[in-house]
Amino acid sequence: MVQISLPKNSEIKKGNYYKDKTGSKNIRKVNIYRWDPATGDNPRIDTYEVDMDNCPSKVLDLLNKIKNEIDPSLAYRRSCAHGVCGSCAMNMDGKNGLACTKPHSEIKGDINIYPLPHLRVLKDLIGDLSILYKQYESVQPWLKTTKKSDGTENLQSKEDRSKLDGLYECIMCACCSTACPSYWWNGEKYLGPAVLLQAYRWIIDSRDEDRKDRLKKVADELKLYRCHTIMNCTNACPKGLNPAKAIASIKKMLATS
Amino acid sequence: MNNNPLSPHIQIYNWHISSLVSISHRITGVINILAMCVICFWIWTLTLGNTNYDIIYNFFNSFLGKFFVISFIWSYSFQILCEIRHWFWDLGYGFELKTSKITGFLVILGSISLTIIFYTFKGILI
Repeated sequence: MVQISLPKNSEIKKGNYYKDKTGSKNIRKVNIYRWDPATGDNPRIDTYEVDMDNCPSKVLDLLNKIKNEIDPSLAYRRSCAHGVCGSCAMNMDGKNGLACTKPHSEIKGDINIYPLPHLRVLKDLIGDLSILYKQYESVQPWLKTTKKSDGTENLQSKEDRSKLDGLYECIMCACCSTACPSYWWNGEKYLGPAVLLQAYRWIIDSRDEDRKDRLKKVADELKLYRCHTIMNCTNACPKGLNPAKAIASIKKMLATS
Repeated sequence: MNNNPLSPHIQIYNWHISSLVSISHRITGVINILAMCVICFWIWTLTLGNTNYDIIYNFFNSFLGKFFVISFIWSYSFQILCEIRHWFWDLGYGFELKTSKITGFLVILGSISLTIIFYTFKGILI
């Protein structure tokens, strides 16, 4: 259901202000969404003054600096810091992306950081992605083949392999799905761009023998056709992939097969 | 889990040309249905004779009426151009970020130009 306004317990209040203590002249204000499950209060926006002279280039560096030097209670996911694991996906300056690959110099004015949109918040910048993972499981993202292994590789032609380019690079960071208004309003029924891109990755794999069944399973008014080509997914993808095109390719396959 | 807040979404998310055109496509669709009703009503009044026709005629020539007519023309032009864009998408073309931005911009620009052309030259066209 389309619900534009936030529920009562999600309305954002004004939070604490952390003044700079270093005396630096190069200060930026960073506004961060905070919610603590222990208190039961509404979420709030805390503002931190950060000394930018001693801060490396990415938004994740900025968050690490705040956590290490100003407020250790700040919670966010992070792991590889090189745009490979997809843990630090969040909403920065009104757009989803990976904090570890987004330079803060690209953001003008105050830096606003929120969790990925339209998720149940577990704490601060951490959203609950369990529905998305269940949907991912539902497309059975593994190779299905009846071929008995004879100890050699299951080979693909160069051409067939190239069909997976732009698909296999997906790191399931959920930037695209949580950028999609259709996914906001129908998140439990519509599979969303991330999962549909993965579905297409297995549909198009020449070694997979379950293509017909996969297509049949995904051909659903709600699961697939809630995509209205809004293109927020492609705009958000930090790996430069094109979920909108992958979804359109599934639609095209269904229309022509 | 029920007590966990919902993270903000449309309140904080930036608008892109593509999302703006997409939502406008939907809104103009609804407006066009209403416009159809008005046009049907207009045709119906034609069957009732001159005096009834005058009511609609005078309305369309009033300031508010002109505003409605221009809005309808824009709404139809926008819808048609959006549908053409969707045809190309359905054939699998135009998904690159740059292309979709350009075509989105062309739809906006084109709908305004079509409105101006149709409204200025309506005498010649009809």
